[in-house]
Amino acid sequence: MNRIVHYLRAINAENIKEWKIEWKYKPDFFRQFFEPLIFILPYLLYGFAVLGGRFSEHLETMTGVADMVAYTFIGYLIMGFLNTACWAMGASLRKEQWYGTLDTIFVAPVPRWVYVAGMAAHSTCHQGLIMLIQAVVITTIFAIVFQTAGIFFALIIVALMILAIYGLGIMVAGFTIGLKQWWVISETFSTLITIVTPIAYPLAVLPLFLRKVSLLLPTTYGVMGVRHFLLGELLGIDFITIIIRLVIILIVWLAFGLGIFMFMDRFGRKKGVLSTY
Amino acid sequence: MRIIVEELKKDFRILLAYPAEIGFWIIWPILWVVPLVFQGQALIGGLHSTAFGDLAGTQEYIPYVLVGAIVSTYMFSAVWSMGNSLRDEMFYGTLEHILSAPARPVHILLGKGVYNSILSTAFVIIQMLICVFIFGLDITLTKIFPILFFLLLLLIGLYGIGFMAAAVTLLVKEAHGLLHMFEYILFLFSPIRYPVEVHPITRVVSVFIPLTYALIALRGLLLGIAFNFWKNSLILIGIDIIIIPLGLYIFSLIEKRTKTRGTLAHY
Repeated sequence: MNRIVHYLRAINAENIKEWKIEWKYKPDFFRQFFEPLIFILPYLLYGFAVLGGRFSEHLETMTGVADMVAYTFIGYLIMGFLNTACWAMGASLRKEQWYGTLDTIFVAPVPRWVYVAGMAAHSTCHQGLIMLIQAVVITTIFAIVFQTAGIFFALIIVALMILAIYGLGIMVAGFTIGLKQWWVISETFSTLITIVTPIAYPLAVLPLFLRKVSLLLPTTYGVMGVRHFLLGELLGIDFITIIIRLVIILIVWLAFGLGIFMFMDRFGRKKGVLSTY
Repeated sequence: MRIIVEELKKDFRILLAYPAEIGFWIIWPILWVVPLVFQGQALIGGLHSTAFGDLAGTQEYIPYVLVGAIVSTYMFSAVWSMGNSLRDEMFYGTLEHILSAPARPVHILLGKGVYNSILSTAFVIIQMLICVFIFGLDITLTKIFPILFFLLLLLIGLYGIGFMAAAVTLLVKEAHGLLHMFEYILFLFSPIRYPVEVHPITRVVSVFIPLTYALIALRGLLLGIAFNFWKNSLILIGIDIIIIPLGLYIFSLIEKRTKTRGTLAHY
């Protein structure tokens, strides 16, 4: 019991430390709450330019949802967690290296996963807050109406998706130890997953091969499931199937992410590259 | 001149230490277009949009965004690479050495600007070749000189912005996120992904961004969309004349300020 409390305190300490570092750079701290709003607008304006309006008959035929803004917005809102996992978790170790504190942290009397869990806890709090602000602003500006009855199920799906995505974040953090240039790794994963996930389009528009790849990603079920419960998007699979597939993906991704992290950690220490740039 | 050459040599050596970056910058700007292609197909069910044609002068939205993606490589280079160049030196622990060397900091910055220009031009050429051989983009030899002319004008204007971005890094230190947001602002207000005429605010703000005029001209040349050659050239030259001295002045001002306050080595 004492050990669990000890670990929980270490996780919280990591979370608090991240908040403190972020607060130190105030322009950057506040920027993070506005950036997602600016990020999503080009995708909405692109939709307006192609469509000549807000509602699409073709999209409605394919998904049951005609509102391009609501459809696209939910996709990018959910994908915010992917960026957090890839960027924030990937960057965290590289930053510790730059600050000169990585070696110190890695010799602390806690297992490595505690450090990783601390990063994940911070990312969840931070991204959750960003998403909340983004959701309030966009839904108010564009007068988007959601089906509130589906919020509970949508939240379950989001929670499972986040845990699975953190498997990816842990893996990226692990690669950073050995491969150093973290942003190339982060950007590679986030771009490829963004292309294959049906963020602003249904699965049906993807080529068959990409459609099959898409079914292996937690973001696919996250985005489609949330859109189904909040906007009524038509799906070929039911809620139970989504949950089962997400749980399987979660186990595989987390195990794989932790495995890569442990491997790269051992590799880094064995080769003596932990503190090299 | 020797300072610029030495800076070039150093930057290329660092780049070669992380070879994955080279492949990344060639391929990724093209890959970023793919979600927009899928989104367009989901919204209208085809590759031609009448509404898009009314705004952009071409109904084919894929070549439109493809050209935007290629040209945006220069924007990434100016904002991202130039902005982070001094932050990287800070992390490597070499910033103080560089800025206290018997050389004017502006020359070092120019060296970084020349390095990024060469690199991004090489990336753009490879991306264009990919578009010509894989996507069937049509470029005739007679168009190459006007294209190079507008790329040069764009490059000069963007590096004025790049110098300012480098100055911001000296001032706020953790400018990585701010630079990212600046990139998003340029994405929002310039015709990289869509014609800015789609909204009155984007149309007004785009007037002040050099990328707007370069993209109008380059799309005109590459996709055969009607545009005013002289008007766009003169506006770009005008912006360049103002923005380069302004960027260098702001950098010198902030560099002196950080030295006076002793915050150069702060993280």
